[in-house]
Amino acid sequence: MQRDYQDLLWGAILALFGLAVAAYAAAHYEIGSLRRMGPGFFPVVLGVILTALGGVITVSAWSRAGVPQPFAWREGMGVILSLVVFAVLMPRLGIVATTALTTLISSSVAPRAGVSWRLVLCAAVTLLTWAVFVLALDMTIPVWPWSR
Amino acid sequence: MNTLEGLAHGLSVALQPSVLVYSLFGALLGTFVGVLPGIGAMAAITLLLPITYYISSEAALVMLAGVYYGAQYGGAVASILLRLPGTPQSAVTTLDGYPMAQQGRAGVALFTSMISSFSGSMLGIVILVLLAGWLAEVATMFGAAEYAAMMIMGLVAAATVGAGSPAKSLAMVVAGLILGCVGTDVNSGAQRFTFGQTQLLDGINLVALAMGLFGVAEVIANIRKADRHGPPDRISLRQLVPQRHELRKMIAPITRGTTLGGFFGALPGTGSTISSFLSYALERRISRHPERFGKGEIAGIAGPEAANNSAAITAFVPTLTLGIPGDPIMALMLGALVIHGIQPGPMMLEARPDMFWGLVASFGIGNLFLLILNLPLIGIWVSMLRIPFRWLYPAIIVFICLGVYSVRGATFDIAMVAGIGAIGYLLALASFSPAMLLLGFVLGPLIETNLRRALLISRGDPMVFIERPIACLFVMATVALVGFTTIKAVSRNRAARRQIAAAAAPQQEDDRT
Repeated sequence: MQRDYQDLLWGAILALFGLAVAAYAAAHYEIGSLRRMGPGFFPVVLGVILTALGGVITVSAWSRAGVPQPFAWREGMGVILSLVVFAVLMPRLGIVATTALTTLISSSVAPRAGVSWRLVLCAAVTLLTWAVFVLALDMTIPVWPWSR
Repeated sequence: MNTLEGLAHGLSVALQPSVLVYSLFGALLGTFVGVLPGIGAMAAITLLLPITYYISSEAALVMLAGVYYGAQYGGAVASILLRLPGTPQSAVTTLDGYPMAQQGRAGVALFTSMISSFSGSMLGIVILVLLAGWLAEVATMFGAAEYAAMMIMGLVAAATVGAGSPAKSLAMVVAGLILGCVGTDVNSGAQRFTFGQTQLLDGINLVALAMGLFGVAEVIANIRKADRHGPPDRISLRQLVPQRHELRKMIAPITRGTTLGGFFGALPGTGSTISSFLSYALERRISRHPERFGKGEIAGIAGPEAANNSAAITAFVPTLTLGIPGDPIMALMLGALVIHGIQPGPMMLEARPDMFWGLVASFGIGNLFLLILNLPLIGIWVSMLRIPFRWLYPAIIVFICLGVYSVRGATFDIAMVAGIGAIGYLLALASFSPAMLLLGFVLGPLIETNLRRALLISRGDPMVFIERPIACLFVMATVALVGFTTIKAVSRNRAARRQIAAAAAPQQEDDRT
């Protein structure tokens, strides 16, 4: 039996998410009446609708063959990691060092290996970032680790 | 102010040196991101949003709009030369553009797309001016009920008319509406879904959401994909010149494409991508040689390219006159307007004529500029396609981080972008439309406010949506759209099941023997 497992899963996730939203809103916020809607009214309605739509997606995926999608997990991890590194380091190390590190990490998942092109890229992006955000836009951000 | 006075006034705004510079910068940047597969107008506009805090509101809007229509020009270049659409709007152009390039007529195909884009935009401006004035007048009759009903219809239309599964698109719209609820409720002051996080009191940041969905998710998806294509051949200026019979073949498709695009662009919900697909279908249907389509037919480029540019311009009609963005890019544009303290709506034409007419005039100037510059510069754009994506995406990531960080100096927002990006990538992989999510997110608070207001005025009587004629029209259209889509989906499902059953039947007989 062939099933579209991807849609099956996402339909279920969305349905559960809708259910959670509706339940949480119903428990924590006032529903009010049609005449004077409380803060809970809109989220509860939306949660119920999402649950229904998630159900439709799941049910229709049950008896349908799915096309497996290649999942770029390595690229995904690299990009997400470089974002997190930026978020953590930015207030501590300043824009120059953080940019350089972020560029090095994110370019490590590029389809071409090698260090030299990445170092050149790192220098170019760091210079460009500094020129645009510090020099041209004069943004108030730490530039060096000691310039906080 | 009448139309001519308005245009004259608009020209005086758009020709201010600083505004002019930003307009041209936006148009060129738009072409650049349009040419490069892997970064769309959406990502570029989100990247620029934080920067617009630092410049005047006219310059900011004119620049963002320039990116939007500039990308419509650039998108065709990669479509024609690499069979890889630079933007979703130009996906159709691959069908006939790439075969033309293979036949050595890449220059003519590029010229056709440029001249069609230009004609589409210019006629689109005329439609914009005529429709906006008319709609602004009609909109003075709009109350809260009409606004709520119209926005709901817009969302349902966006989810059901476009390509892809309507159930998935609707689910994304609703998910977006839910995300829009996060933060302090305007009416009661209650904090919804903040879980005690002070960073969420103002709700989820629009820039963070858009950058996660369109910046991060697209970068992840394109790192491997975009580097696989070889560089195209060089194009000389002489190759661009079409023959007279080729020129003549463009006129009718351009006119039809513009009209089609102008109409669908102005409808809230449907946008330039849908227009270009519809225009292609129309051209093939009425052509005397439908078999030539897909093998290098000029009408297959001219129609859709005119349609998507015309739609890109008229998409501003509902955004500016009703405050209802028709597509996600317009949603961002609306966000930018609100950041600058301008509330688009029926009063905007009168309250902010400099903004409205300045924008209209800048469309004309920007498009003229794109036509004049892009034809000679085509060699440069083609050589842009030689830049491998691996040189670009690390810079994009840094710009995303700094862009989000600059909005309010919170690293929390960057972490949010990372999370949204990861989810957005997975959703896009399962062909859920992130654009629908963003559209729902932006319209959510507006719908809730108007819904509450309408029901408060009617003392809780939902009949208010039926008794008022304009609201009733929107409600009926919404019901019709939902009904039609359901019937279509059910019958398609049944047909598919019958096919599977038919394919399985002989097998079962084999099993028995």
